[in-house]
Amino acid sequence: MSFLGNSKALVLVYSGMKEKSLSKPVNIMLTPQFYILKKETLPLKYHYQAKKIAASLFDGLLENTSKYDYFVYKEEEEWVFIAYDMQAINDFLLSKGISPEQIGKIFFAQQSAANFTAPLLLGEKEALLALDNTVVIIPQIALKEKGEILTFDDSFTPKKGVTSQGMHTSALSMKQTIGLTAFFTLFALMFFIEGWRYSHDSQAAQEEMQMLLEAHPSWQSQYTRESISAKYRAIDKNERKKREVVKTLAGMIFKGVKVGTFQMNEKVFKVDFICKDTKVAQRLIQLSKKSGFKSAETVTGNIVHIEEKL
Amino acid sequence: MNWKLYRNELIVALSLLIMFSALLYKNAQVSSRSQETISIKHAVTEFKELVSLQKTWADKKVSKRVEKLKKIVPSSKIKWSKKGKKLTAHYTALTPKELNKLVTNILSMAVQIQVLKINRDNSSYNVEFKCKW
Repeated sequence: MSFLGNSKALVLVYSGMKEKSLSKPVNIMLTPQFYILKKETLPLKYHYQAKKIAASLFDGLLENTSKYDYFVYKEEEEWVFIAYDMQAINDFLLSKGISPEQIGKIFFAQQSAANFTAPLLLGEKEALLALDNTVVIIPQIALKEKGEILTFDDSFTPKKGVTSQGMHTSALSMKQTIGLTAFFTLFALMFFIEGWRYSHDSQAAQEEMQMLLEAHPSWQSQYTRESISAKYRAIDKNERKKREVVKTLAGMIFKGVKVGTFQMNEKVFKVDFICKDTKVAQRLIQLSKKSGFKSAETVTGNIVHIEEKL
Repeated sequence: MNWKLYRNELIVALSLLIMFSALLYKNAQVSSRSQETISIKHAVTEFKELVSLQKTWADKKVSKRVEKLKKIVPSSKIKWSKKGKKLTAHYTALTPKELNKLVTNILSMAVQIQVLKINRDNSSYNVEFKCKW
């Protein structure tokens, strides 16, 4: 399947042609029997300007009962205007067994005028020929005998053509297709990567857990782990608290303060600081309260007593 | 029906389908894995914490390390009793410097302090220390 190239076969359509039975879509080339041609030398620069005035150039030349479309292109110094009745072309093609969905592009014989270097026979009576760079139909009788005869093939396919509105046409151009496909593919890639990362994260955590379980086979049960954890957490908390208390009390010893007694067990601690005088004792009480020991008080003169639960 | 006529639409529709499939895949992974991952990560963190706690408070080398408390003061000042994973030590006539050294060593050891008593006797200190591990 070619996405970019035009690989369809080219079929020449003329009024006397035989009925066709197509298995693949084709491009068609219309003979002058299906269009009206006009060439003009006009001071126009752009194609859209020529297209705009196309209808006015055919004023009085076309039948009012038909609806015409126009195909315009530039041929060296001249602008070529082609008027065609798409409905009539469609009806004719259907009568010859070519349905609209089988048609790719429609071309006009005039577009390939340069290829008509010799006559091309249309059935038994007529021939297609380029005269003064204009493709026309002439009776075969007017041809020279034993002259060269052209064979019609895909090499006559011009670059540009038209697509009938009545026939199928893609709603998306190639550029739009590429753009949208790239956009959707990019997002698809992002979603896949993100999904993979979630999956991978979970796998890594599972592997880590597996490794830990292998290192500690007796801790397979969540209940066992919770029980052991509660035990060690309680020990950790209590022991840290004991050490913190001892360090805080040690930090409260300054000049004029000595430890008289200190007692600590699993639940409480008591300490008596011997102070040099009442002034020092008061300062120590203030410091104790600041350190969080609210039970600090003076007993028997200059002794500061602290007793608290752990 | 000739599919070639609809090739552009088909290509875009296919890429759109792939994108939606990827989105569904991602959402499925997020919903099924994120809860699972959070749960496993939490379990891993708790497991590591447990390993760390056990390493600290059930260290088999502690039994050897407590012997250090015997050596930091002259043996004449110590009454030492170690049975299994329990220690009872009585220190007498410690200088303030020796007391500081002893307390610092006790605090840095991963043992469970059961009793710590310090009594001043004139300018020296008597210490009773009981612990287990």
